[in-house]
Amino acid sequence: MSAAPQGPRDRAGAAVIPEGSAAGDLAAVLAIARKDLLQEARSRAVTVATLFFSAVTLVMMAFAMGQDAELLRRSAPGVLWVALAFAGVITAAQSFQSDLEEGAFDQLLLYPVPRASVFLGKLLANWLYLAVLGLIMTPVTLVLYGARAGSDLWLLPVTLALGTFGFAVVATFYAALTANLQAREALLPVLMFPVVVPVLLGAVRSTEALVGLQNATLAGGWLQLLAGFDLVYFVTCTAIFHLVVEE
Amino acid sequence: MAAFEAVSGAPSDITAERPARQLRGGPGDASAERIPAIELDGVSKRFGREMVLRELRLEMGAGRVAVLRGSNGAGKTTLLRMLATRLRPTRGHGRVFGFDLQRQGDEVRRRVALVSVLGGNYPVLTARENLKLAATLSGLPGNDLDAALARVGLDAAADTLVRTFSSGMKKRLGLARLLLLDPPLWLMDEPYAALDEDGKNLLDEVLTAARGRARTVLMASHELERSARFADAVLELAGGALRRSGS
Repeated sequence: MSAAPQGPRDRAGAAVIPEGSAAGDLAAVLAIARKDLLQEARSRAVTVATLFFSAVTLVMMAFAMGQDAELLRRSAPGVLWVALAFAGVITAAQSFQSDLEEGAFDQLLLYPVPRASVFLGKLLANWLYLAVLGLIMTPVTLVLYGARAGSDLWLLPVTLALGTFGFAVVATFYAALTANLQAREALLPVLMFPVVVPVLLGAVRSTEALVGLQNATLAGGWLQLLAGFDLVYFVTCTAIFHLVVEE
Repeated sequence: MAAFEAVSGAPSDITAERPARQLRGGPGDASAERIPAIELDGVSKRFGREMVLRELRLEMGAGRVAVLRGSNGAGKTTLLRMLATRLRPTRGHGRVFGFDLQRQGDEVRRRVALVSVLGGNYPVLTARENLKLAATLSGLPGNDLDAALARVGLDAAADTLVRTFSSGMKKRLGLARLLLLDPPLWLMDEPYAALDEDGKNLLDEVLTAARGRARTVLMASHELERSARFADAVLELAGGALRRSGS
């Protein structure tokens, strides 16, 4: 029994897990996010699926629109965010699917951390993954569709960060909600896309303004809208996450 | 109601004096030994139309060991998961060391560990990484990972991905997590399943030590002859009801 840990103990010497603290909750969030990213780095299941899916989406849409250069240019922001949205669905669904295999998600919920920390950890991993995917896909899309970044180029990463964050919040929440359902693959997009429309709309419009398809001054307004919806979704989903994981 | 009589009526075995209100301070309280480790007060659980657990009443004193028997589907796992706060009772109230299962879940989880049938391990992480995650999420320093792995004979496989483990090795890893966290209440779901003879002997040693150190253990097991050697009482779940079947 030399494995027993140091720290608070009851009268019989059993370990009583210390009271939660903000630092402890943050450590839990980071540990869960690190775990998810490490799993993905090793399995590459989501990386392969999302990169392939995104590339196919970009190419197929380009072929479908034909040789009209102006049409291609105007559709670039929409196609980019559609591809990111579907990649986000795969990412969020898989982040719970891999946990369900050997009861690991059940075990995760048995640790004395707030349910919100579990949500935030998974959200952080999904967001980072989607944001990096967006950073890769944006220049590829702009080149493939003949669009050019405008003068406020620095706002494009901000749009990507806010857009992928809002999307990751909703996707992570609904992925948890549907994780134990048999028809989860079908239900996840059906449930989440109506909710995430404001985020996608804001992201697409802001991107349009930043690649010269709208007045660039409009980008600020769309970004504010995007940030507002992000905040609302973030607070709501974090607050009620415990309801979707308790049976 | 008969279950309550049968289980809590006998004062000399797994029962303990019901605590007065002012004694509900948990294990840190000076009079904590008077607080039952487990109290169930008319607890029922329904899944859809099926009532799996009916009006369970149980009072189990701290430091006691009980074996839970019952046929497949009797509700043993459901009861253990409920005590670990993974399932909410449909009706009734349950307490662990005086803390309410529904309203004080975080406090309960600070005092409970569950060794589940599925293992609860992440297949794409190594054994050490799985334990490190458990330590971090439990707010423990994680200095004892190697000792816990050595205790269950997994020291040589510490840096091996769990997906390459046999069922027995996964079970041992779950046992290492239990020893690492070493909480006052151990919930074990078929702990002997998948273990080879050496593994079963190891588990015997762990349970013997747990008894000596006054851990409270509730273990669901079909290996009644073996597990009953460590038990103060054998409880039987049948038809959704709990009754004492021997000691």
